[in-house]
Amino acid sequence: MTLYFLGLAALVAAGLSAVILGRRPAFADRSYGLLAGAGCVLAGLPAVRVLAGGPAPGVQLAVPTPAGGGPWVFGIDLLSAAFLLVVLGPGLASALYGVRALRSERAHGSNAARLLFVLELAALALVVTARAVVPFLIAWEVMAVLAYFLVTFEHERAEVRRAGLVYLVATHTGTLALLALFASWAGPSGGGSLSFDALAARADALPAGGALVLCLALFGFGLKAGLVPLHFWLPDAHASAPSHVSGLMSGVVIKMGIYGLFRVVSLLAAPPAWWGWLVLALGAVSAVLGVLWALAQHDLKRLLAYHSVENIGIILMGLGAGVLGIAYRVPLVAVLGFAGAILHTLNHALFKSLLFLGAGATYHATGTRELDRLGGLARRMPLTWIAFLIGSVAIVGLPPLNGFVSEWVVYQALLGGVTSAGPIRLSLVGIAALALVGGLALACFAKVCGIVFLGAPRSTAAARGHEAATGMLAPMLGLAAACVLIGLAPALAVGPALAVGASVARAAVETAGSGIPQAVTRIGLLSLMVVALLGLGSLAWAALRRRRPTSQAETWGCGSALPNVRMQYTASSFAAPLLAAYGPLAGVRETRSRTAFHSHAREIVLEGAILPMWAAVRGALWRLRPIQHGRLWVYLLYLIAVLLLLLLYLAGLVGGTSR
Amino acid sequence: MTAGSLLSLGAVLVLAPALPGVATKTKALLTGRRGAPVLQLYRDLLRLLRKGAVYSTTTTWMFRLAPVAAVVTPLLAGILLPLDGRGAVLQFSGDFVAFAALLALGRFTLILAALDTGSSLEGMGASRDAAFASLVEPGLFLCFVVLILATGRLSLSGMLGAAPAPSLAMVAVSLFFVLLAEASRVPVDDPATHLELTMIHEVAVLDHSGPDLALLLYGGALRLALFAALPVSVLVSRAPLAAPLALTVLVAGMVVVAVAVGIVESSMARLRLSRVPQFLVAASVLASLGVILQLLT
Amino acid sequence: MQHLADLVLLLVLLTSFLILGTTRLTTCIRAVAAQGGLLGVLPLVLEPRWSAHTLGLAAGTILVKAIVLPWFLTWAIREAAVRREVEPRVGYIASLILGVVAVAVASAVATRLPVPGAHPILLLATSLSCVIMGLLVLATRAKALIQVVGYLMLENGIYVFGLTSVDRVPFLVEVGVLLDVFVGVFIMGIVVFHINREFDSLDSARLTELKD
Repeated sequence: MTLYFLGLAALVAAGLSAVILGRRPAFADRSYGLLAGAGCVLAGLPAVRVLAGGPAPGVQLAVPTPAGGGPWVFGIDLLSAAFLLVVLGPGLASALYGVRALRSERAHGSNAARLLFVLELAALALVVTARAVVPFLIAWEVMAVLAYFLVTFEHERAEVRRAGLVYLVATHTGTLALLALFASWAGPSGGGSLSFDALAARADALPAGGALVLCLALFGFGLKAGLVPLHFWLPDAHASAPSHVSGLMSGVVIKMGIYGLFRVVSLLAAPPAWWGWLVLALGAVSAVLGVLWALAQHDLKRLLAYHSVENIGIILMGLGAGVLGIAYRVPLVAVLGFAGAILHTLNHALFKSLLFLGAGATYHATGTRELDRLGGLARRMPLTWIAFLIGSVAIVGLPPLNGFVSEWVVYQALLGGVTSAGPIRLSLVGIAALALVGGLALACFAKVCGIVFLGAPRSTAAARGHEAATGMLAPMLGLAAACVLIGLAPALAVGPALAVGASVARAAVETAGSGIPQAVTRIGLLSLMVVALLGLGSLAWAALRRRRPTSQAETWGCGSALPNVRMQYTASSFAAPLLAAYGPLAGVRETRSRTAFHSHAREIVLEGAILPMWAAVRGALWRLRPIQHGRLWVYLLYLIAVLLLLLLYLAGLVGGTSR
Repeated sequence: MTAGSLLSLGAVLVLAPALPGVATKTKALLTGRRGAPVLQLYRDLLRLLRKGAVYSTTTTWMFRLAPVAAVVTPLLAGILLPLDGRGAVLQFSGDFVAFAALLALGRFTLILAALDTGSSLEGMGASRDAAFASLVEPGLFLCFVVLILATGRLSLSGMLGAAPAPSLAMVAVSLFFVLLAEASRVPVDDPATHLELTMIHEVAVLDHSGPDLALLLYGGALRLALFAALPVSVLVSRAPLAAPLALTVLVAGMVVVAVAVGIVESSMARLRLSRVPQFLVAASVLASLGVILQLLT
Repeated sequence: MQHLADLVLLLVLLTSFLILGTTRLTTCIRAVAAQGGLLGVLPLVLEPRWSAHTLGLAAGTILVKAIVLPWFLTWAIREAAVRREVEPRVGYIASLILGVVAVAVASAVATRLPVPGAHPILLLATSLSCVIMGLLVLATRAKALIQVVGYLMLENGIYVFGLTSVDRVPFLVEVGVLLDVFVGVFIMGIVVFHINREFDSLDSARLTELKD
């Protein structure tokens, strides 16, 4: 635990050094990078030790707070350890990327942004290790508010300020729900210890199997995770931030919602079946709609943000399956469901950070995020292209990369439900949804990769693109290497994930007889075969090609005159047939004239429900304006009136108890 | 892993290019023409392999990788199928997910190769391919779910070869629909058309030539063979048969499927593009009915 | 016999899906004719011993549902010069998915429904699904002629349900077949309607204009 806190201190020191040494940028960069790296490694070591089977460390700090709530407990159990790795690994990559990216994007204010970034990392680490309500909520709020400042880095742009505002409102609504959640859990007694262990002891006494707690958790944590329909703040916020911040937000920060749900499930001994079905259904809806809405986007970063909604859906499907496994007493399903969710959380953190960093590199090189103005970047940024391609194949869930491994575990959990007896067999609906999501995600990333990196440049900006700097490439390649590693050696990741899943399900890892370990090694074998055969095949084919006469020519235009760049297929037209098949669900508004075709992707929830509701509330409040007119004596009258009402209320309360 | 399964895989690899020939021949005979010989594709492949290739100046290594992936992915998917009726070369719990994902990987590279050329026509083909494939996927998985419900086994080797039941008939029909889509046949796509605007798969590979085209054609034949083997394995349980007989039954069944493809091609026209999703959803509907039936019994 | 009956019932379900998914009016009519024929065969495969009663029932059903009514419908199309497209209010894919949901719900209900006598669960499930899908067609298709088809599907569902009690309530099914007379009246109405009015008013949405 000392090591962990030392690591956090190093992180803070990294940020401070960036601010203090701001006058000497080269030196500041180096000290920031080194200290941040050391901090992440130090803080991560205990987590690795726990995941490798070591004892779970913990510490109690007696912090005198006026709010009470007992000592502040911190600890690293298996669940915390897994999420700590999610925070620190991709977080460090984003931090290092930020060093180089911010240097050129904007000179002033970037030092403070670095300080905020590492503080955010420390806050995230505290969220996943806090084991009492008060430190958890404090860390949660610090994390949420720091994220606001990180998102609004380019605050001179109006749309960034708007996105930040929507985010702030959303996250505080979520915090409100969390306050209500812990208040209702702790009960009216008050004063006692508010450590998580104390809450767990009180779990059996919750009315209706903890229905209220579970619903509040789903709302509060779901808002942070961005599950449909609570995702409305997410695309704007994630697209407006600088790319490394987007990577952290999309890869790591939204996972805190998942962590919260996991923590609540692990504290409640027996979550009811209906909640499992609800989570599974919401997960399926989020996954399908998330990827469908992603397909409709024209902005690279918004598209990636919507894919986070999709992947959160997949994670929730695993979590839901796990809860169903507990509720219907099928321990294998519970362990596999939780393990799949955990593993996909880690994988998504890796490849989503990678994709956002790649998107940042293309933005950096071309100055535009609009898909239809990019193209042909594979020639100009070959290494970025390879990293981005690895991220894409991983997120689509194709072998030989890590996305396939975690989706396979989630499938395995759902299948375990299908082969059991009773209502849990209906989890087969999840399989169909997951299959649909896989197909749609493939289409979406084929569009992104093909339109952004392949073909001919669609604008002069894209034609002038250049390879990213080493400082930006290295973190991307590191993340890509992690994706490949988990893909080729899945046992490395699946084993610990199963252990975490078993700890949440409070079941022994009974997977030996189920063929899971054997299957995992065979998946690794299959992935190796894919890589080897593709490599060898390409080499052999290149050798054959050298013996045949080959020539270069223009792309075949089917008899038309030389094809030009404006004739190339665009992202909107690529997505059009798919979106047409889904009709109003896709939320695309198309306008055509004789020479032009535009499609606009609507924010169905934000534009359709939240903003009208907001307008209605504002309209209602507008009518209250006459009470605000600036005369002091009237305000004093208000005060007196409120005071009297309060006293009356208290008198009533006291009278009630004395009787 | 057994010698029998490896041998069957080898046989399928060798015989695959005959299947499109069977379908085309059936169509020709039914429409009163003599048609190309059944083994035409072998000749085409040999000729293409000897030819040179033309590469567009727009293309990158992705364009050259796609033909290799088009053969490697169905090959690896093939080692997961129990082609000899007993067990696959490689089998594990949930291997059907890998089966579908491998074929998807092949499609992904092919779509990228099409977009790599920068041609609007190839982009069009790639876009339709992606759209239709995404609609097929749920149907395919629901078919596997029926088989899993029927047998309780999670690997392809275990679930293929269930006892006959009405729900399996639904699965076989649904798998046939999936085949028509995955192998780009009528009514989803028309392998014989030469109007770029109406083609799907054919137009996506328009720029590939010479040995590359040969690989793509062979990969397409392999895909057809795999998807023809699926309904055969669902309907005919070959586990009790001796290895050579099991292989013969499989090949005969695949030929029957190819003949059925030919009959469909001669009896109906390609669907209007906006109607194709309906057809593909019908495959999922059939499979869902199979699921409901299986849950009822 | 069990498998054969299941197969026939499945085909009945599939014809219903064909009606939900097709774009063409003539396909609808052919499908509903096929459904009628299958319903005629159904009593024969359900009862292992054929009596004069079952034979008569089968013959009558096939005559009315598979031959006369479809012919009448085709005649109406020709007579009223109806355009041969379905023109749905809810898309085809959505209709198909709603159909699957209908079958799922019907099956769930059928396993819990206390119906006396030993019958395959699929029989009840099919009858309920046919009723729901018939209502679906009635609700989501604009054209009067397709609505007749929807009504026929609904009635076929009731007919299948009647088969569960054919041995206890003797003439229930026969009375059900009599309902087909209404269908004839509907079709006549369409044709006569056409003689007086323009083709456009075959759209039943126009009925809303009848209010004062």
